[in-house]
Amino acid sequence: MPADAPHLDARIADRLGLAPYLLVVDTEDMTFEAVPGPPRTGGPGAGIQIVTQALGMGARVLLTGYISPYIARTLEKNGIEVITSVSGSARDAVENYRLGAFNRVDGEGEEAAGPPSSVHRAPWQDALRKAANQFLGILPILLGVILLVGLFQAFLPKDGLLIVFSGNRIFDTLWGACAGSVLAGNPLNSYVIGETLLELGVGLFGVTALMMAWVTVGLIQLPAEIAALGMRFAIGRNVAAFVITLLASPFIVWLSGRAW
Amino acid sequence: MGVAVAYLILWVMAPDRSSHALRAAGHILLQASLPLLLAFFMMFMLNLFVTPAHVTRFMGGKAGARGILLSSVAGIVSMGPVYAWYPFLASLKEKGASDFYLVNFLSNRAVKPALIPLMITYFGWRFSLVFALFGVFSALLAATVVRFLNRISSRKTSHA
Repeated sequence: MPADAPHLDARIADRLGLAPYLLVVDTEDMTFEAVPGPPRTGGPGAGIQIVTQALGMGARVLLTGYISPYIARTLEKNGIEVITSVSGSARDAVENYRLGAFNRVDGEGEEAAGPPSSVHRAPWQDALRKAANQFLGILPILLGVILLVGLFQAFLPKDGLLIVFSGNRIFDTLWGACAGSVLAGNPLNSYVIGETLLELGVGLFGVTALMMAWVTVGLIQLPAEIAALGMRFAIGRNVAAFVITLLASPFIVWLSGRAW
Repeated sequence: MGVAVAYLILWVMAPDRSSHALRAAGHILLQASLPLLLAFFMMFMLNLFVTPAHVTRFMGGKAGARGILLSSVAGIVSMGPVYAWYPFLASLKEKGASDFYLVNFLSNRAVKPALIPLMITYFGWRFSLVFALFGVFSALLAATVVRFLNRISSRKTSHA
């Protein structure tokens, strides 16, 4: 929020680019940081620099009096909620936001500056449009993942798994986790494959690792997960799940009292 | 595009298997269509009724035990292939959900109450119970690891 002083009782400034301070508030506990506002001689891009800095600090919502409609649209396209015509103290503005008192376009129920279509569209239309955009953005990758799963199901023979299991518990756990990471589909299939492998003499360590990795690690789905949730999230989660599978499988077998 | 090229190449080399792959993919798409529709509907409802403040309260960085319970239960009861849920999770993340609870949700999908009877048939009740419990515990562990990695990454960024 642009503000005229570096504390929560400050008044919300009318214009982002002219505010002496930018308050970045954690809505959970009302802790905040006051960032110096853009210099008056900073030019049109100065306000954007400050907003970028606030976004880097984790801000996801902008409450302000007025903002250029072009900048508001750009921010919203990047997932930042923009609420305008906000006035009063910063503290009251945050409280009102937490209570859901603001609608998306305007802070006080009046028409805000911006193209008419964004003002006169019903909330459900906005929600549907946003959901459709989010969905269509990831749909091509989802279809690619589904086609890839089909390829694996057709070209990777399930009985080929027997080749990788040697009887060594450590390596069987590792190869079981690797196989489970690559295979995808209904977890029920992993139970059927696991039971079949047990009947064919494969140890429970490898079978457990296969079943656990099947549902927690997804190499084939990785592109879709990266597209949706980010590379750091997707790779971090999958690597963590793979390592945990390797460590947990022996414990599961041991605690279940089954023959190894 | 890469997958399409792979299909074209494999179609030339092994048309029967490629046809089988396409049929399998079609079958998977059919199975995933209902969960995908459900996920789309949930995204619509999320955008219509749930504000970032709500998401932050229940699945934000400081949601605590409430967030753990909500994301664990949601992951356990969620049905369908995992990729059907990615768009919905992306929406939640956009609205401020912490990576910790998103990872917890995804990892708790390993626990399938509906399939436990079948698992007991194959592997016995004790193994099935331990497997399910470890599923929940491992989900929290994975979430903790991702949170730890995020913190290291944030510290590196702020020092830079």
